[in-house]
Amino acid sequence: MAEFSPGLEGVVAAETAVSEVDGANGRLIYRGGYLIEDLVPVATYEEVAYLLWHGELPTQKELEALRRQMAAARKLNASARGTLAAMDSQTDPMDVLRTVVSAQGAAKALAKPALEEAIALTAIFPTILGATWRRRQGRDAVEPRDDLSHAANVLWLMEGKEPEADKVHLVDTYLVLLADHGLNASTFAARVVASTGSDLTSCVVGAIAALKGPAHGGATLAARNMLDKIGSADNAEKWLTEAHARHDRFSGFGHRVYRTYDPRAKILREMAKTAAPDLYKTAARTEEVALKILHEAHPERPNATNVDFWASVVLTGAGIPKELFTTLFATSRVSGWTAHVLESLSDLRIIRPASRWIGPQPGKKPLQLAKR
Amino acid sequence: MSTNTSYVPGLEGIVASQTAISMVDGANGRLVYQGYVIADLAEEMSFEEVAFLLWEGRLPTRAELEALSLELAANRSLTQAANITLDALPSDTDPMDVLRSVVSVQGVEHRLAKPTVPLAIHAAASFPTILAMFHRRQLGLEPIQPRRDLGHAANYLYMLNGKESSPEIVRALNTYLVLLADHGMNASTFAARVIASTESDLISALVGAIGALKGPAHGGAPAAVIEQLELIGTADKAEQWMRDARKRKVKFMGFGHRIYRVYDPRAKILKEMCRRMNPKFYDLATRVEEVALQILHEEHPERPQSTNVEFYSAGVLQAIGLPREFFTPTFAVSRVAGWSAHVLEQSANNRIIRPQSEYVGPELRKPAPLAERG
Repeated sequence: MAEFSPGLEGVVAAETAVSEVDGANGRLIYRGGYLIEDLVPVATYEEVAYLLWHGELPTQKELEALRRQMAAARKLNASARGTLAAMDSQTDPMDVLRTVVSAQGAAKALAKPALEEAIALTAIFPTILGATWRRRQGRDAVEPRDDLSHAANVLWLMEGKEPEADKVHLVDTYLVLLADHGLNASTFAARVVASTGSDLTSCVVGAIAALKGPAHGGATLAARNMLDKIGSADNAEKWLTEAHARHDRFSGFGHRVYRTYDPRAKILREMAKTAAPDLYKTAARTEEVALKILHEAHPERPNATNVDFWASVVLTGAGIPKELFTTLFATSRVSGWTAHVLESLSDLRIIRPASRWIGPQPGKKPLQLAKR
Repeated sequence: MSTNTSYVPGLEGIVASQTAISMVDGANGRLVYQGYVIADLAEEMSFEEVAFLLWEGRLPTRAELEALSLELAANRSLTQAANITLDALPSDTDPMDVLRSVVSVQGVEHRLAKPTVPLAIHAAASFPTILAMFHRRQLGLEPIQPRRDLGHAANYLYMLNGKESSPEIVRALNTYLVLLADHGMNASTFAARVIASTESDLISALVGAIGALKGPAHGGAPAAVIEQLELIGTADKAEQWMRDARKRKVKFMGFGHRIYRVYDPRAKILKEMCRRMNPKFYDLATRVEEVALQILHEEHPERPQSTNVEFYSAGVLQAIGLPREFFTPTFAVSRVAGWSAHVLEQSANNRIIRPQSEYVGPELRKPAPLAERG
């Protein structure tokens, strides 16, 4: 039997044209062959979602059609509204998202994943995010707006007031940067679910479930929590040295794939300077010290800053409460998840790996209950 | 870092995990739970004992079994949020979508919790209640509250039907639940392990697994077996119908499996149960099986096209009196034991499951701004 590679590290589990993480060169390529840093200045989240689904950037007309379709799909249906209202307002926002998406997509009969459904699912995330936040605050939900972009709706649905252009820009750029990233764990979960011939909602619900984990989407919150504990640039060296002595992991550092600086982190780092100047100072000093400590401890490891570290600073600057970081990550990544599922349909084969038996020798006879 | 550079579709033959929970020995047609061959467990053990075995790695003592049974019984009721969600879903919703949504809401929490055996027990206890409550609502009947004095299988049937089932029927459902409780690194179990590998919670892993089980290439096909048998009608028409169907590229439901090279040991037990409990199904099904295996062998003599577990499951579940749209959800009632055991095992010795992909898209190019895109 084949060699066991824990975590399937280095094992190729899919062929994809949706995105490519070129870890050796620190490049992230989105569908169509575009580098992430080339897309950021020219494309909004809606354009990038279109790109991931279709393989080409939209024309003006195509973009308008997509915006209309998304605007028409932003409202929760009765099942989703009932489900949302049933949950305690302090429920983990990712549990709310997982549950409400499941209810929104509950259907009479099994449907093959389709693009229209991918668009509708993507459109609904800001609505759930906003309603979750307002419920946490004891406030009523506001209705989504047709005249606002996806990113602007995120802020509108949370705050219920006209969003500021610079904050919309921060959120939009974040959404563009996080929309896809090769076969990360949540995307892979979506593809495993899709491989059985299941429906798109089931795939997305499975992906949300995976993104929730602190080793995946939860890492942005962990990075911000660490920065909160460090408190100021002056305290970084002391705090990190002590944490390292306790063998605590530094949140926001290390990635399985990148061997150089994550290109998304580079863009977010630059944005962080003006988005959240005070937190930026703490973060920059934290990064400097953390990289030094990590390098001294493991000179052989390419312990680079990951996207979560700088995302936590930019999202803070955009006014996103840290409890919603993972939910906003999902709000971006859903376009990538659905693009992967749609892509996988063209050559669907059940993902059913092997396992290595490490249990007792087969064939022992069970004792009757009375004799145990 | 070890690198397997060649892409293997479906990860076939790629070892994704080490496990001590179950082993599918495809070459010899054996399914082993924690060292015990399934045939030695199937008609001897209760589902509760087997769930304990999968979670704890050994069979329970009498006291442990009693404690587990009490814990299951005490956690059969749904939360208020789950009841409201159940009512919010239209009564013609696919029961697998109901299960996915209500398990999700039943398991919501304020803070992330690490997977534990008690959480696995609570989740397993809720599955039958969710399905039975929904079934009663579909029929416009009052919900039946769970009973603490009944075993897992007996209580499920009681809540579905509003009355106790005969010992023979309860025993048959119990055996079905034991047989399906785990099966190596199948797609839904693997989905659960991928989710658990990010250090997410148990309910998240189970919700993902339900989504995977729903697919017709996995758990979603037993109802299709019955539908196909109904189309065939009678044993004497089987050969004619099936040869015609094959010309139209119709797939035979209930045949083929990636792992077994000989007869699936669960199918063997279920087939015998069908003979006893569902003779009408048995007569037609055995003839259809004979013809299907013959045709499949003629087409692909090199393939070991064996009858899979879904084929005779359908006959057993029909004899138990389950409506066919509850066949796959009842599979989940069983498999939740295995899913949660795998999540516990993954979380005890975790490494994030994050494979590689091979880029097959276009070469690098520069994006045009919107105004310049035609």
